[in-house]
Amino acid sequence: MDTMTLPDQAEMRRSILDDLDGGFTLMVMTYQPGIYSGALRLTRHHDDAQEIAQDTFLRAYRALETYDDDQVATLAFRPWLWTIALNLCRNRVRRSRGTSPLPSEETISVLDEDPFDEEGWNDRFAKLTVTQRTAVVLRHVVDLPIIEIAEITGRPTGTVKADISRGLDRLRTIINGEDHR
Amino acid sequence: MTDLEQALRALDIQPPTDLVRTTLIETGAADQITTIDSPFGPLWIAWSPRGVTAVTPRFACESVGDFLDEHRRNAYVIDHLPRHLEERIDKALASGMTSDVPVDLRGLSDFQRAVLAACSRIEAGTVRSYGWIAEQLENPGSVRAVGTALGRNPIPLVVPCHRVVRSDGAIGNYAFGPEMKRELLIREGAILM
Repeated sequence: MDTMTLPDQAEMRRSILDDLDGGFTLMVMTYQPGIYSGALRLTRHHDDAQEIAQDTFLRAYRALETYDDDQVATLAFRPWLWTIALNLCRNRVRRSRGTSPLPSEETISVLDEDPFDEEGWNDRFAKLTVTQRTAVVLRHVVDLPIIEIAEITGRPTGTVKADISRGLDRLRTIINGEDHR
Repeated sequence: MTDLEQALRALDIQPPTDLVRTTLIETGAADQITTIDSPFGPLWIAWSPRGVTAVTPRFACESVGDFLDEHRRNAYVIDHLPRHLEERIDKALASGMTSDVPVDLRGLSDFQRAVLAACSRIEAGTVRSYGWIAEQLENPGSVRAVGTALGRNPIPLVVPCHRVVRSDGAIGNYAFGPEMKRELLIREGAILM
């Protein structure tokens, strides 16, 4: 879906209240790419990112089936979905700590060329604290506003800003160190 | 935007192309559809992870587009049923005993679901009247509504609405014509007036 035609919250809410499956389809098409991208940077594994991007929406769909109209009417979809996704990322990273990223079969050809310097970015993100990495990925990879990151992570906006700033500083230092090698 | 911020934005890559499709199918927000051979000729069949959502004879919907228009749900066409469903459906269509086939009746009203549940209790080789269904629902005044609900049965053959006839013994209506209804009942060994 073209980013210029993304539906707004009100349109998506109307769509879900009117027809859950139709509205949910819109929700998947709108938010799943960002969740996949963010989960990929947070877990470092393509397969994990794919599973998290799918499980997030499985859980969301089951929840939406039980929500009444008032609950749907007050739901902020993106931070809600990201709260689910971030929990799944944390669980996944906790479970697989210490394992190196393995490419899925589908992504081998992409990784062979590595146009995004995946390995390099995985190494750099691994050198940030979990809170810095989460804040930087959500702000600068997924492009979420700070107020939503604060809601998703349960941290005050000032703290999120500091996490981002320190994370970016650390990344600059790491990259400068690579350049002088 | 600094160079570093631009480099981070470039990491926002697209997921595999089939992820949306897989997600919608796994959640049940979209169905899968295919055609199968049956003792009654080729059928369109749609299903979600919960069960069968629609059945229609091919003669009633010639193209997949016709079936999707009729079905009114997002669906992806694949070339075969999953094995667990295929075995149950084959057995059910051959024997007329359909209670082992999982069904997904989301989107229907409580009344419609109750009508179809009562209808599913009618055994092969027997017929019941619309009034009998209304009695089963402890709502004897709902005969006409029962007829409407059966007429909109999304999974005929699996929910055997062809086993419901008029109280005077006349064969009554059927979505795919009274001739097909008669053939189905004769095949099951029902005694018709």
